[in-house]
Amino acid sequence: MSRIFVTGIGVISAIGNNLAENHLALKAGECGIADLHLFPSKYAGVLPFGEVKLTTKQLKEKLSAAEPGVTRTSLIALHAFNEAIDHAQLTAAQITASDTALIGASTVGGMCLTDELYHDANRTDQGSEYLSSYDCAAVNIYLQARAGINGIVNTINTACSSSANAIMYGARLIKSGHTRRAIVGGADSLAKFTINGFNALHILSDQACTPFDANRKGLNLGEGAAFLVLESEADANGKKIYAELTGYANNNDSFHPSSLSENGEGPFLSMKTALEKAKLLPREIDYINAHGTGTENNDEVESRAMLRLFETVPAFTSTKSNTGHTLGAAGAIEAVFSILNLTHQEIYPGLHFHFPISTTRLQPELNYRKSTLKNVMSNSFGFGGNCTSLIFSKA
Amino acid sequence: MFYIHHTSCISPQQTFAEINIDLLKDAIENKLRAAEPSYEGIPTGVLRRMGKAVRMGVGTALPLIKRITKPVNGIIIGTANGGMEDCIKFLNQIIDYDEGMLAPGNFVQSTPNAIAAQIGLLTNNRNYNITHVHRGLSFENAMMDAAMMLKEYPANSYLLGGIDEISTYNYNIEWLGGWYKKEPVSISDLYQKNSQGSIAGEGASMYIVSAEKLNALAAVDDVLILHSTNEEIITSQLKAFIDKNAKGGNIDLLLTGENGDSRLLKYYTAAEKLVDKDTSVARFKHMTGEYTTAAAFAVWLACEILSGMKIPGHLIKYKANSNFNKRILIYNNYKGLQHSFVLINKVE
Repeated sequence: MSRIFVTGIGVISAIGNNLAENHLALKAGECGIADLHLFPSKYAGVLPFGEVKLTTKQLKEKLSAAEPGVTRTSLIALHAFNEAIDHAQLTAAQITASDTALIGASTVGGMCLTDELYHDANRTDQGSEYLSSYDCAAVNIYLQARAGINGIVNTINTACSSSANAIMYGARLIKSGHTRRAIVGGADSLAKFTINGFNALHILSDQACTPFDANRKGLNLGEGAAFLVLESEADANGKKIYAELTGYANNNDSFHPSSLSENGEGPFLSMKTALEKAKLLPREIDYINAHGTGTENNDEVESRAMLRLFETVPAFTSTKSNTGHTLGAAGAIEAVFSILNLTHQEIYPGLHFHFPISTTRLQPELNYRKSTLKNVMSNSFGFGGNCTSLIFSKA
Repeated sequence: MFYIHHTSCISPQQTFAEINIDLLKDAIENKLRAAEPSYEGIPTGVLRRMGKAVRMGVGTALPLIKRITKPVNGIIIGTANGGMEDCIKFLNQIIDYDEGMLAPGNFVQSTPNAIAAQIGLLTNNRNYNITHVHRGLSFENAMMDAAMMLKEYPANSYLLGGIDEISTYNYNIEWLGGWYKKEPVSISDLYQKNSQGSIAGEGASMYIVSAEKLNALAAVDDVLILHSTNEEIITSQLKAFIDKNAKGGNIDLLLTGENGDSRLLKYYTAAEKLVDKDTSVARFKHMTGEYTTAAAFAVWLACEILSGMKIPGHLIKYKANSNFNKRILIYNNYKGLQHSFVLINKVE
């Protein structure tokens, strides 16, 4: 079966509108978590969020997206998608070829338009222009139409691990010979729906999140999108290669709908199985982009799972301290960040950490440094116990 | 691709436990609601918290898991919307209570992956667990996932399913979009109306699949998915699909997703012209209504037919002379954009 190479990456998040901006912000340890400006909400000014610093109107203009019914989620998806295919130098003929797949992920879809959805769903008046824009698939169907994709198109939703699974699925499509290349990733935008949902669970912090800190108060919701172009060895030949996707695994924690088991069986299994897939030993992992949401439950459980698997836990950080938790986009955004670690041979500082958790004593990397990195792991765990780990290796 | 070993189906008709699809239940106000069983085996407290989609998904999955001796190596679910009713219940609370303090129950139940997650939780399964949500191709993508898994790990078995529910709210959104008929319609004249829109439906169909031929009910030989509104492209892709699989013998039955929507009829008519007079043509959406994972029901129906069920007259659109029912081609399309072709064979 073919090896899988990453030949293009694109990202938009609270710390930058493209790959170069995100890279600079990671190096500088910038935090994009701030006040909410996107829409009126009771929680604006009360809770901080990781907003993409472009308004929906600006995105529409920048992308010449005048189609009726296009939502913010679709726009940020298109923004990152365009950058990824541009970096991969895919031709129009390649993008529209029947052996190019598009695998995306979203958990919010068009539900960012919470008020419009309320009116349409309760049929309070005439239908809005967004009637077919609300579901998770709407984002990818928009990209499919816009780019003229003729190959396999799919959307995955495994909550906060959705786009890590989209990456894994794209790789498997290439390996099994169903497709030659796959454009994979995910997008989610901020929504009153998710803000109120996570708030009802009492896991939103009123300050910028502090992953792995003893006094962490919860997560911050963010928004963003990232896409990767995956190609088979034969097709990647001669192109700029960002990284090789060597390992991936999806396991379920099978414990609780919205929290992880004490010993982190799901996270442990997904990390372990990804290592087996990559044929690597735990000590060969040089850095982990942890799921690290900043919640009481996740960070301690993830720490415990890392301690179980690794004799010495590798350097790790959670870039959610920069971007907030971007839900369905997180797996792809953090995959792109992990690839930046590899391509630049750098470790970026984790932010807002002060004191280690007393039971696990793990400390994320706090300073920027150059480092020899061969293999990096990216973790994504979601509601429903959906755990996925990816391993990227220096090509 | 893979073999189907066990099936389970909750639909608007009598398809769960004692199967009898000779007599059909009619739609009420253009909705065909699922005939839900009493869900023995799901703890009452757990059942009460479940939304309908989760309930139907778990309710079809658990009896299958009971029937097998080895735990499945993964749970692969297709659902466009998952627990839509819970989703909008939560949304309504946000607006109605002006973002006040809300209970999180509906929010947690509303994530589409809650079905696969609940099945994993109740069966203590820590293996592969995924939810495909690609609107009208959610189940077909789940089938492709299962096929890839079984190609890579031929000794494994998987739970594969397709589930979606009618909620008041997605009904309203689709109604506003013009996808349901404005005039009341009986299922017996769904195909005769010559008007836009269909009737709403729901259901859950679940399968145990593996690469093991022995004792299999049916073989899923090929699946193709396609996005296009261009009739010619769809027809040529379907023709290529048929030609590619021609060496397997004649297609005995074409089972289509014709749904009474006058705008979509041209696609089904074109498909019917691609098969010859030895191929019977049947349709099923008068049994289920239209919904995003209706193809999962079509696969269940195909398995029943391949297992020897006499095809009820209400399914038949065109009856060929041949009495063979060994090879079934399913063609479904969702809103004229998302198309799928599935080839299912009898296991000899």
